[in-house]
Amino acid sequence: MSALESFDSYESLEAAEEAVQLADIRPIPEELRVSESLVRTLPGSAYSDPVLFAREQERIFEQMWICAVRSAEIARPGQYKTVTVGRESLVVSRNRKGEARAFFNVCRHRGATVCPTESGEARAFQCSYHAWTYDLDGRLLAAPNLTKMPDVGRDQYGLRKAHVREWLGYVWVCVASEAPSFEETVMGAVRSRLGDLDSIEHYGVEGLELGRRITYDVKANWKLIVENFMECYHCATIHPELTAVLPEFADGYAAQYFVGHGAEFGEGVEGFTVDGSAGLDRIPGVTDDQDRRYYAVTIRPNVFVNLVPDHVILHRMFPVAPDRTIVECDWLYLPEVVASGRDLSKSVELFDLVNRQDFEACELCQRATDSQAFAEGGVLVPSEHHIAEFQAWASEAVR
Amino acid sequence: MIPVCPLSQLALGEAIRVEPEGDVPIAVFRTDDDEVYAIDDTCTHQDASLADGWLEGCEIECPLHGSRFDLRTGEVDALPATRPVRTHAVRVEDDMIYVALSDEEPNLPPGVRR
Repeated sequence: MSALESFDSYESLEAAEEAVQLADIRPIPEELRVSESLVRTLPGSAYSDPVLFAREQERIFEQMWICAVRSAEIARPGQYKTVTVGRESLVVSRNRKGEARAFFNVCRHRGATVCPTESGEARAFQCSYHAWTYDLDGRLLAAPNLTKMPDVGRDQYGLRKAHVREWLGYVWVCVASEAPSFEETVMGAVRSRLGDLDSIEHYGVEGLELGRRITYDVKANWKLIVENFMECYHCATIHPELTAVLPEFADGYAAQYFVGHGAEFGEGVEGFTVDGSAGLDRIPGVTDDQDRRYYAVTIRPNVFVNLVPDHVILHRMFPVAPDRTIVECDWLYLPEVVASGRDLSKSVELFDLVNRQDFEACELCQRATDSQAFAEGGVLVPSEHHIAEFQAWASEAVR
Repeated sequence: MIPVCPLSQLALGEAIRVEPEGDVPIAVFRTDDDEVYAIDDTCTHQDASLADGWLEGCEIECPLHGSRFDLRTGEVDALPATRPVRTHAVRVEDDMIYVALSDEEPNLPPGVRR
């Protein structure tokens, strides 16, 4: 699917400001070039090796900002969700003032998992082993014999904190001791793709409500999923419904458009729906330029955002094994649309179908990653050459 | 009578732990209804400070295992604690909280001595 991804985070901010660059003019490292048309992909083992996967968890997912939890799912103080980031389990919650907080889900006493459940509401987090009890800011509130141990600092032995930001109606976390700049990395990815941040602000994403969530358990390496999102060479083959709505996707080169370009709905297409029928209420901030267009943004390493006039689709990807990735996909609409109980199925069905088509293709690739016929990898055609940059970035990160 | 702290320094819904000379620690609570009560601070089940617990009405819930003690009588509602805490008389004079310690024997958890 999402053709228009090519300019995502690999573009520098400076490059984004120039706003008219084509992906395929980016220099391809000579050693990867196979011939005039072809560039080499990663070797098959890059998608199946457990040692490499662990390094990616450590160097990529445990270093960068990860979109973890929908803000509305932890609306009240003490409401929490546990989430896995890289190899770490985190408790994401709100303190009494309503500020988002993320803690390592590890008791400071003997290391037991503090919150074993996926979600809930708590006034404090209590370890079920020796009852060390932490308040909603992570501070050690009580423990057996604590008053006899005045040397045990209640802040010093509080739950370890992860970095937290809220943006686009989601809680983003970073488990590295020092977080990269959120503005440069996360917001920078959006700016590079769309040309500016105003373009996404028009959709008022933080004010939208969840209309539908579908979770996909994909038997494929996370990089295969990113690479699939980056190119549209496959669109005409596996996405007949999507290409009916966005005819320009059929040329395979849809990934090569300019910064800020959105794919235009086809003639006679009324909305971004499975059959091109009318969508729901247009988001008021969406401009006339943005109307009847589809924009896609990748925010490395785990987010894909799709913007259409009446809704926003946000995918979060959680790699759990070299050959397995959980993808949580949210369809977001105006609150009054969700409240009205109107039928969302035609718009949900379109992208659910696209997702299933994509993930099935990724799983077909995954199955062959250990074949001797793919040991040295495959090749990228010109409309996929920008994937080489993603592969170089991912390889560099674990070097 | 031992002085605890000025009433104005103890907010509604808050507690303070004091360690009187020669006796076990006590906890003084100011409830949301602006009543002041004093009980032994240590839960009778395991060594935990009730002043760190959850105050609701006239009941304090132990922060560790959830037994609730009635601030007026010291009685406990449910397991794991089974024995009551002592209660102490409280007087407030000129914005100062005073406590008269009970002369009963405290019910202390295993391993905690006077």
